[in-house]
Amino acid sequence: MPHGIFSFFKTTLGAALLTAGLTAANAADLRVLTHSSFTVPKPLLAQFEKDNGVKLRITKGGDAGEMLNKLILTKANPIADVVYGIDNAFAPKALAAGVLDTSTTAAAGRKPAAELPAPLVPVDYGYVTLNYDKAWFAKNGVAVPKTLDDLTQPAYAKLLVVQNPATSSPGYAFLLSTIGAMGEDKAFDFWAKLRANGLKVAKGWTEAYYTEFSQNGGKHPIVVSYATSPAAEVFYSKTKLSEPPTASLSLPGAVFRQVEGVALVKGGKQRPAAEKFVEFMRSPAVQTAMQTDMWMYPAEAGVAKADAFRFAPEPTAFNAPSDADIAAKGSDWVARWTKVVLK
Amino acid sequence: MAFETPRLKRPRPWAWDRWALAAVPLLFLAVVLVAPAVRLMVEGGSADLWAPWQDPYLRGRLLWSLAQAAMTCGLVLLIGLPMGWVLARLDFPGRSLLLRGLMLPFVVPTLVAAMGVLALMGPRGLLAQWGGPDLQGTPWLLLFGNLFFNLCVLVRAAVDALSQVSAARVAAARSLGATPWRAFWRVEWPAIAPWLASALCLVFLYCFSGFGLALVLGGQAYATAEVEIYTLVAHELQLGQASVLSVWMLLLTGAVALGYATVERRLATPARADGVLRRPARGVVLWSAVMATVGVWVLICAAPLIAIAHGAMFSGAYAWGVLREDDTLLALYNTVRFSLLALVLATVLGVAHALAARRVLWLRTLVFLPFIVSPVMVAFGLLLLYPEASGSFGVLVAAYALLAYPFVAKSVASRLDSLPAHYLEAARSLGASPWRCFWRVTLPLLAPALRRGMAFAAATAVGEFAVSLFLSRPEWATLTTLIYQHLGKPGAVNLGAAQVLACVLMGLALLAFVLIEWPGKEGDARA
Repeated sequence: MPHGIFSFFKTTLGAALLTAGLTAANAADLRVLTHSSFTVPKPLLAQFEKDNGVKLRITKGGDAGEMLNKLILTKANPIADVVYGIDNAFAPKALAAGVLDTSTTAAAGRKPAAELPAPLVPVDYGYVTLNYDKAWFAKNGVAVPKTLDDLTQPAYAKLLVVQNPATSSPGYAFLLSTIGAMGEDKAFDFWAKLRANGLKVAKGWTEAYYTEFSQNGGKHPIVVSYATSPAAEVFYSKTKLSEPPTASLSLPGAVFRQVEGVALVKGGKQRPAAEKFVEFMRSPAVQTAMQTDMWMYPAEAGVAKADAFRFAPEPTAFNAPSDADIAAKGSDWVARWTKVVLK
Repeated sequence: MAFETPRLKRPRPWAWDRWALAAVPLLFLAVVLVAPAVRLMVEGGSADLWAPWQDPYLRGRLLWSLAQAAMTCGLVLLIGLPMGWVLARLDFPGRSLLLRGLMLPFVVPTLVAAMGVLALMGPRGLLAQWGGPDLQGTPWLLLFGNLFFNLCVLVRAAVDALSQVSAARVAAARSLGATPWRAFWRVEWPAIAPWLASALCLVFLYCFSGFGLALVLGGQAYATAEVEIYTLVAHELQLGQASVLSVWMLLLTGAVALGYATVERRLATPARADGVLRRPARGVVLWSAVMATVGVWVLICAAPLIAIAHGAMFSGAYAWGVLREDDTLLALYNTVRFSLLALVLATVLGVAHALAARRVLWLRTLVFLPFIVSPVMVAFGLLLLYPEASGSFGVLVAAYALLAYPFVAKSVASRLDSLPAHYLEAARSLGASPWRCFWRVTLPLLAPALRRGMAFAAATAVGEFAVSLFLSRPEWATLTTLIYQHLGKPGAVNLGAAQVLACVLMGLALLAFVLIEWPGKEGDARA
């Protein structure tokens, strides 16, 4: 393809933007790419800018998978210097695509509460697992399921809503946990049975939780969410609650431990500032604040857990395929899932 | 065009000034839309053009996209035309308020609207509470959502069109013994058909290439081809497959847009100075018609919004506290700022495009390009083509303007078609220069249409969320992104805050509408 045409448009657009004085791109900016759930209190970010003499330019790139795809697509001319939000489900893909800078940073030296493949430095972790609406089960006199297989039984027909693993990172994480626990073929048999039993599929977490979950007016009392969601329900409730209206349901094979990390982007600029940012994400202030902002547990071992997490017990067991399998078969699994569940 | 007999020399289609006018929107489209989309397709490499039709899954998606758009068009015409007739022909208290109220759905973000629709027709919705069926998981939910968003497009077009019908011709038909129905069919219908065709075309394009609504209301089972493209590009990075699918979408919608532009040009007639006067709604029949119109409006347009307002009202003091947060003020400021900038850019582009596209069919068709090309293809293409501009303010405003400007162009173009030629001729024969003619004659005549287009564009910008497909930045959070942010966390307060913010957004959009359209009094195109 003749690049001449494109560079003509580039020049035109660049000129237009410069004339209008609208370009925000500044060589001194540290460009941070995050998923859209990234929340760090503004005063902390301002302090970081002051301490390090850089301006942060944070861009939110959508869901974790979508964000990584943007990074892969712009590999030749990266749109960020440092990236936060790649988790262990997407790490193999990021490593295979070679979008991360492989040199290590200081924070990588300290032993974290949950590991991630290098060069990703763990920042936080959480558990993707089933949540259920306590009131619905009490009112309808249905026993809470004991195993994942229960969900394929007639008694639990049309009760479960999951996110599409093709469009949602919790959806993908949940699919991985079933494959990790049962093995590929059995897992897809299970999904076929779920489909036959009236499984509901939503595009992303928001649609599943706010339009399909019975707690919020939908008709499905079991939803794929996080182990910390019940704690957030108490934290964000209208009235003071002594216990959450929902609970997590950490069935064997239905728990995926998600470890989110930060890393330098290959070909990025601002090396010293980028390394400082990695360290910043592991600083006690950020590690404390993000717990009730992003509803994840801190990766820095010495940091105390938020009080709200007394309603969010950590699951004792979790499943996942090996990193090598995720890297080799991840996208095939999603394609197979689409065939088995949607088509 | 039998009755277009200008004594003045017709403007040559491709004089230099035309080229200069056309260059503005064409360059804009090339830089922010065509080049990025093409760049992404190049990245995807070659794929079999027939693949989407051979794969039963993708074929189903394409056919369902067509079917739901066509069904919506039928429903909208069936319900909207009688409503338009009542609003155009009858006078009753609250008429202009109702006309404005029709615009409300247009500015509600998709997810919020979907929540409203579910609050009506979902498992715990009003319909189910009154013993009706629960429509969740059926295609009806998506069709109702389409109807909610698109009814106003047709009703407004019908009102405008009916105001253009010549009173003398209707009166002549009646005095020659035609029944009201026959007069409508033989005199009014031919006059309003191009307007309705234009509106239906828009409705079709919206529904066919719409994607947020189909995702939430259609669920995965009734997702459209546009949804599939989004998934393929953003999540699976299958650029080749996505490109082929989007080429097919482009061909199908392009055919509709081209057909529409042809029809509209052929049917375009100069406006009548003697529009039919509205009569007061008197008598049982006319009053029932008014009540039915209000009733349909409440059922289709207002009910989902009332459901949200109701939710916000009972969401408690904590949720309302969101209004005092700094983030909300910032979002409000951003929404206003981006909308204003986008509106200025969209107006310049839209007017230039409309003026340049007179009598040039392919240019008229190009107005629809921003609706036709998949936004996700454009967004990822922009990233690939101008990585250094990603997340820059210019790209953001350009993206807003790209999605808003067709409204201005379309509205102005329709009005240009129906401009009475003799005003201009009179001005020219009295010695006015062409520029003076434009400034003193054409522009005042265009003003109501321009205001209409700008009002639509402003409403689009205020409620815009497609920009999040581009890279967004925390300091650029708008009301819509703030709503989605709250909906991204569990907890009753977050849901309540989202509903409160949705109410603020509706209020803001309504304000934009009132401010822009108010000088037009009745707001119709009869200047």
